[in-house]
Amino acid sequence: MDTMTYTTQHIWTWWIALYLFFGGLGAATLTITFLTDMYCRPHRKLVLWGALSGVVLLAISSAVLFGHLLHHTAVIYVLNPLVFILKPDSWIAWGTQFILWMMVWGMLYALPYMRETPLFQRLPLVRSVLQWPLVEWLSSCCMKRRRIVGWLASINGIGTAVYTGLLIQSFPAVALWHNPGVPLLFTVSAFSTAFAYLLLLLNVFITDENDDDLRHRYERFDVILIATELVILFSFFNYTLSGSESGYRSAQLLWGDMGWLIGFIGFGLIVPFLLELRGVTKGWGSRFPTVAAAVLVLIGGYMLRHYFMYAGVYAYPW
Amino acid sequence: MSWKFPSLTRRAFLKASGLGAAGLTLLKPAGLLKSANAGSENAAVSEAYTYSICNFCSSLCNIRATTRTKNGVKRIVKLDGNPNSTLNRGKICARGQAGLRQTYDSDRLKTPLIRVEGSKRGEVKFRSASWEEAWEYIAKKQKAANIQPWEWTMVGGWTSCVFYMNWAVPFALSNGIPNIIASPMQHCVTTGHLGTDSVTGNFNIHDEVLPDYDNAKYILFVANNASIGAVSTCRMVRFAAGRKNGAKVVALDSRQSETAAKADEWISIRPGTDLDFCLAMLKIMLDEKLYDADFLRTHSNMPFLTYRDTDGQWHIALDAKGRPRVLQEKTSTIRTVPAVTNDNSTDVDGNAFYPALYAPEGLMLDGHKVVTVLQAQLDEVKNNTPEWAEQTTGVPAATIRRIAREFGGSRPAIIDPGWHGARYGNMMMLRRVQAMIQALTGGIDRPGGWIMSGELHHKVAHSAKAQKEGHPAGPPMTSLGGMPFAKLVIDTFSDGKNFGHGKPGWAWAFSKQEREAGRPWVMLPVMADTGLKESVEGNLAFNGEPYLTRAVLINAANPVRHYYPDSRWKEILSHKNMELVIAIDVLPSDTTMYADVILPNSTYLERGEPNIYGNGVNHDLAMVTRYPAIDPLYDTREMPDILLRLTEIISGKPDSFMDWIDKLTGMPAAPVKEKMAKFQAQKEKSPYSAACREVAFDLAAKRAGVSVKQLDAVLREKGVFMEENYKEILEHSAMPWKLPMPTGSGRVEFYSGLFDMMRKGGGTAPNFSVLATHIPAECRKNAKSVSLADDEFYFTYGKAPTVSYASTNSNNPVLAAINKFKKGVYTNVWIHPARAAYLGIKDGDAIRLVNTLSGQTADGHAHVTRLIHREAVFLYSSFGSENPALTRASGMGTATSKLIPYNVEPVVAGFRSQEFTVRINKIEGKGVQA
Amino acid sequence: MTRYAMVIDLNTCVGCNACMAACAMENQTPVWKGEWRTYVHEKEIGVAEQVRRRFFPRLCNHCSNPPCLTVCPTGATYQRADGIVLIDPERCMGCRACAMACPYDARYEVTYDDIKLGKEFYGDLQRTSPSMDKCSFCAHRLDKGMKPACVETCVGSARQFGDLDDPSDPVTQLVASGIAQPLMPHLGTRPNVYYIDDLKRKG
Ligand SMILES: Nc1nc2c(c(=O)[nH]1)N[C@H]1C(S)=C(S)[C@@H](COP(=O)(O)OP(=O)(O)OC[C@H]3O[C@@H](n4cnc5c(=O)[nH]c(N)nc54)[C@H](O)[C@@H]3O)O[C@H]1N2
Ligand SMILES: Nc1nc2c(c(=O)[nH]1)N[C@H]1C(S)=C(S)[C@@H](COP(=O)(O)OP(=O)(O)OC[C@H]3O[C@@H](n4cnc5c(=O)[nH]c(N)nc54)[C@H](O)[C@@H]3O)O[C@H]1N2
Ligand code: SF4
Ligand code: SF4
Ligand code: SF4
Ligand code: SF4
Ligand code: SF4
Ligand SMILES: [Mo]
Repeated sequence: MDTMTYTTQHIWTWWIALYLFFGGLGAATLTITFLTDMYCRPHRKLVLWGALSGVVLLAISSAVLFGHLLHHTAVIYVLNPLVFILKPDSWIAWGTQFILWMMVWGMLYALPYMRETPLFQRLPLVRSVLQWPLVEWLSSCCMKRRRIVGWLASINGIGTAVYTGLLIQSFPAVALWHNPGVPLLFTVSAFSTAFAYLLLLLNVFITDENDDDLRHRYERFDVILIATELVILFSFFNYTLSGSESGYRSAQLLWGDMGWLIGFIGFGLIVPFLLELRGVTKGWGSRFPTVAAAVLVLIGGYMLRHYFMYAGVYAYPW
Repeated sequence: MSWKFPSLTRRAFLKASGLGAAGLTLLKPAGLLKSANAGSENAAVSEAYTYSICNFCSSLCNIRATTRTKNGVKRIVKLDGNPNSTLNRGKICARGQAGLRQTYDSDRLKTPLIRVEGSKRGEVKFRSASWEEAWEYIAKKQKAANIQPWEWTMVGGWTSCVFYMNWAVPFALSNGIPNIIASPMQHCVTTGHLGTDSVTGNFNIHDEVLPDYDNAKYILFVANNASIGAVSTCRMVRFAAGRKNGAKVVALDSRQSETAAKADEWISIRPGTDLDFCLAMLKIMLDEKLYDADFLRTHSNMPFLTYRDTDGQWHIALDAKGRPRVLQEKTSTIRTVPAVTNDNSTDVDGNAFYPALYAPEGLMLDGHKVVTVLQAQLDEVKNNTPEWAEQTTGVPAATIRRIAREFGGSRPAIIDPGWHGARYGNMMMLRRVQAMIQALTGGIDRPGGWIMSGELHHKVAHSAKAQKEGHPAGPPMTSLGGMPFAKLVIDTFSDGKNFGHGKPGWAWAFSKQEREAGRPWVMLPVMADTGLKESVEGNLAFNGEPYLTRAVLINAANPVRHYYPDSRWKEILSHKNMELVIAIDVLPSDTTMYADVILPNSTYLERGEPNIYGNGVNHDLAMVTRYPAIDPLYDTREMPDILLRLTEIISGKPDSFMDWIDKLTGMPAAPVKEKMAKFQAQKEKSPYSAACREVAFDLAAKRAGVSVKQLDAVLREKGVFMEENYKEILEHSAMPWKLPMPTGSGRVEFYSGLFDMMRKGGGTAPNFSVLATHIPAECRKNAKSVSLADDEFYFTYGKAPTVSYASTNSNNPVLAAINKFKKGVYTNVWIHPARAAYLGIKDGDAIRLVNTLSGQTADGHAHVTRLIHREAVFLYSSFGSENPALTRASGMGTATSKLIPYNVEPVVAGFRSQEFTVRINKIEGKGVQA
Repeated sequence: MTRYAMVIDLNTCVGCNACMAACAMENQTPVWKGEWRTYVHEKEIGVAEQVRRRFFPRLCNHCSNPPCLTVCPTGATYQRADGIVLIDPERCMGCRACAMACPYDARYEVTYDDIKLGKEFYGDLQRTSPSMDKCSFCAHRLDKGMKPACVETCVGSARQFGDLDDPSDPVTQLVASGIAQPLMPHLGTRPNVYYIDDLKRKG
């Protein structure tokens, strides 16, 4: 029985790539901002931007997934926290809970800052909510147990980022996906895009000069992550070249594609790497190169997931 | 302490999969390990079984319908093979499975339809009408145009043939209509089967060869596929068993058909040359004595002494009383044997002797040099060596020789000719030769060989008994089996004396006219279409008077797609002389497009038939019928009622109709009328059918020696009433072992009495040869001189597993979906990559096929595959429907009837539907869809 | 214990598609969009003139280690004690992770539209909610003591069904003998549909 068909799937397409991208990005963004806030220096603005946009990104991500569900009401089975006990083997179950709780802890972590922020006090509805006794109480609790809340959010964030890779990895028929490199790759990519996103924030919206140290630090992290990503991708290249026909066909699909090679590897990784490397070593005179690099990394982050979804080759024995 | 890794052996692997699963379930949520059937439990839902017969092909499988009643609405939810059936052994094919969707097809004919005033036939403009309106319309037309009985023609498909013959033939006779076209005839029953039947005398539709694959050691398929793997369930289930039992299977086919794909050896033969292959086989088997000599001596006419007349024609050396003579082995004593018997070893004086298969050189009888039939046959095929056949067939001589030896050397062996005849003028001869090859092994009515149907045995045994007891066998249509039945049909319609108006069928009148004019003519146009066009167009005369056809009643037939070419039928049906076209169908076929009135029949699942039937192509003897699974969904009627009403309109003599039924089939008129009155009072929609059914139950119960109640109970519970299995039947009725065969001589006929008769009747072509002989297929104008042009191919076709003929069930949503799934293979034209590449044709390309002899063209798409002979193209003959009312099938695939010209052979007007070549070219240009 | 399994003998599968039609009718599958619980593929194999036409029926393998099950977040995909892998349509949210995980392309989608069309087409649709769908080994028939619809009607007797925990079952014997082999066992899915190869023909 040697009549194989090699084919790519058409079930999880761009929308799942969006889900993975926004999910990873949102989660890593939250994690980084909270860790920065906890261990670098408290940074209200960053936390607010990070937490809120992170939550929005996660919400977009979830909405994309939810929108594509076949049977929307059955989603309650995964929203139910008991799903951990019921389906401990399912990564989507973990992922959904990570995302859910990370939004909760993330909001809680940001809550005290929100109460201090004039903008929120000016928004009519938000203001009244923030003044509810319950919210007040919650906020003070969070203040007291700041680190715990921060860590809960961060763990969920890291979990989410790792989860996006673990999910793809749990499909054994596809060599490109079913290997331990994938969670690593997706985690690295998630944090790299998150750093890029924060760099974008810090260069466009939070333009405080005091934050230069953060900018540098983020840029340095991002350079390291991009380099790591390149190394991981290089080993993917080697891994898929032989060992399984499915992998080999994925390699052919990916490395023969200009979008992947030039678009993603070139403009999504190498160009921003060089831009940021120079930023780290020599510095740029203007913000533009950093902003451009960040945008490229973000686009690259989506491209990685997009190509990964499309290039997964199944081998069917008929 | 050393670590021990668990190691898994293969055996352990199996076990472990169970254990592993159990172990891992511990990790899984217990709450989720609930039982199945999350489905809604509804107290108001009930399921029931009813038994019926599939209506999608002549395999006539026994089926069981599951109905579900919910909130008072009863629906058919599933069809299955009847598990109690020994015919199809509980299985049914894709068409059978999907059959319930015919009943629920949204495109169904739901009310009578009348062609809109002012529209032309073929324009598909119909208005719904009530039955009364439809009858009125027909009556008005009949009266206004003053249509004479002989100006009517009936066209019937196999449904009307198998299930309603007992009404259709009496309908014809009582209304004085001498014209019936039956669509299976020119395609299979006469062209193909008659060849086989001339050897075995069978002529029971489609059961002339019922191979016992289960017990065969060697199976040789020749040009057959749909009758086995693609698919006739009743035969496929046996073939599968045979193959599992280890039979060697060889398939001769110019492409790798579904059946050939299951063979140990696929022999890709040049189309039209199977006769050459088989003649060479016959020669080798005779030469090398690879036959059952005792069988031939005793049960065949092989030992009959024959001589050649001065014209070189062979004749049996009969005595003055018409009895054959046989030489006694190892002596020069010549014995006279009875004209009709199944046993040569006792002469007319009652002396036993040992018949010789070879006469010594120079044996003389009545002044003629005589040899045995065997010797005559050998002489006839002396040039047909494997080397000769290699030239035409393209199959190496060594292969032909090997197959002949393998076949002759392994018993029981089966050579299987399939069902569909037609294709070539030599098809009938091919069938004869195949039957001879089979008979050489003695494999007739023997396990592992060809076994006749239970029904045929029953009839033949019954007739034999009646003859012995000196009384007539009974009503001819229900008692006569085999060739005597064929003779009855021929005698009835060929002779004007059987009709008040003195006119025979136009087919017979046309033969006469053409013969007298010195043009090619057809000897036995039994229910054939030859002459119809001429009759419609006013080009036929009988006894100096014009013989017109002005009205057609088409019943469960689709000649626009099933006859050749489609343009001919469109012309016939739209001709200005044609006053009235009535079509009875369940779906809007391409033929109903050309009707004036369309009468909707209930589908097979909605009706209880007016009769109890034999078990079709089964070795066993059994009775079956249909029970309606649901009530008719729409305002539909049953066939007998329609025919009765039409009788009232055409001749006004319904009593005569019922009397003819009585006379021909034995269904008494009086009780039918009585019961009909009862059903009429009950407002039954088809009271006549219902009445016939009750009487049929009475008759059948009587035959079986049980009460009607018992019979009904068994049929309701099991769907089949088993009478006798084939083993028991063979014990007392094996032919020719125990009973004479239904051939003219009671023996297996190598020298054909039937063709002898036709030769006497003026048949001169080699088609009428009394012995097996060569007839070339004439696919090309100067056949042998040059090889095929670069773009020239032999044209071949066959049936798709998922469609009946080119029937309306290509519109079945389930089958249509499968056809879509298999699109390239099923609906495109098969062409070999080597040839395609040369023509620049790629898979899926739009191509045009042009008939090199007639110029007809058809368009299609290429399916480039190595599974086809390099010199041939192949097309599944199931597609190309045009009626837009068939919303799923219309426009799908290419119709064979666009490409096949009108070209018939001289014996029965069998279609020479592959006797041409086609030129193929790629259709270039924009807008062409691959 | 019971461990259901199917053996498919490629030597007698004639590609008649009866199984496809039977399954569609039995399980009310969405024929209108060309999705089936079982497919019969056709393939041309062999070199040059040694070409062979193979029919290859496939369906869910009811894996003993089913990746579709582990990925399912809602628990809609579950496995019965007899090994049958089922989907509870009420519980399935239709994320399609199972379809991605299945190495045998066994699953397809039933959408809200399909539910609507299905009600029109089948008159009375057994399911009420959309979900992923796939072969159920006809568990509802097995529970009534019947065989799966495709097996029951298999015209070539190519499909056989049995219990691997019953040593006397012909299916168990075929599997144990090694004649019948599962698809892609190296993936660790432990499939329970086994195939008898048709390549060992004489000739
Ligand atoms: N193109 C093509 N032509 C062929 C063949 C082929 O394979 N392809 N095969 C040839 C052979 S071998 C044969 S035997 C003949 C068979 O030819 P037919 O016997 O004519 O074949 P069918 O398509 O079964 O029936 C014809 C019509 O009967 C209608 N019908 C179906 N069920 C019923 C019913 O219950 N009641 C009524 N009143 N009508 C019904 C169908 O809708 C269809 O329009 O065709 C021959 N012609
Ligand atoms: N699916 C399906 N099955 C059916 C029916 C149906 O309508 N649909 N109808 C039933 C009826 S009535 C009939 S008559 C039977 C018909 O049963 P068959 O006679 O077995 O069927 P065909 O499909 O005509 O098979 C013809 C085969 O002959 C091959 N062939 C064509 N030309 C040549 C040639 O010159 N030489 C050789 N050696 N092979 C050639 C074709 O490739 C094809 O595979 O099927 C029955 N079963
Ligand atoms: S072979 Fe198929 S179509 Fe023909 S009678 Fe049997 S089930 Fe019906
Ligand atoms: S074949 Fe696919 S769907 Fe079926 S059990 Fe295995 S993994 Fe699951
Ligand atoms: S689609 Fe349904 S069955 Fe499949 S993994 Fe998602 S919830 Fe489970
Ligand atoms: S076992 Fe049942 S559900 Fe599965 S393919 Fe066969 S018929 Fe369909
Ligand atoms: S029903 Fe049986 S023989 Fe026919 S295609 Fe399906 S598996 Fe093959
Ligand atoms: Mo036929």
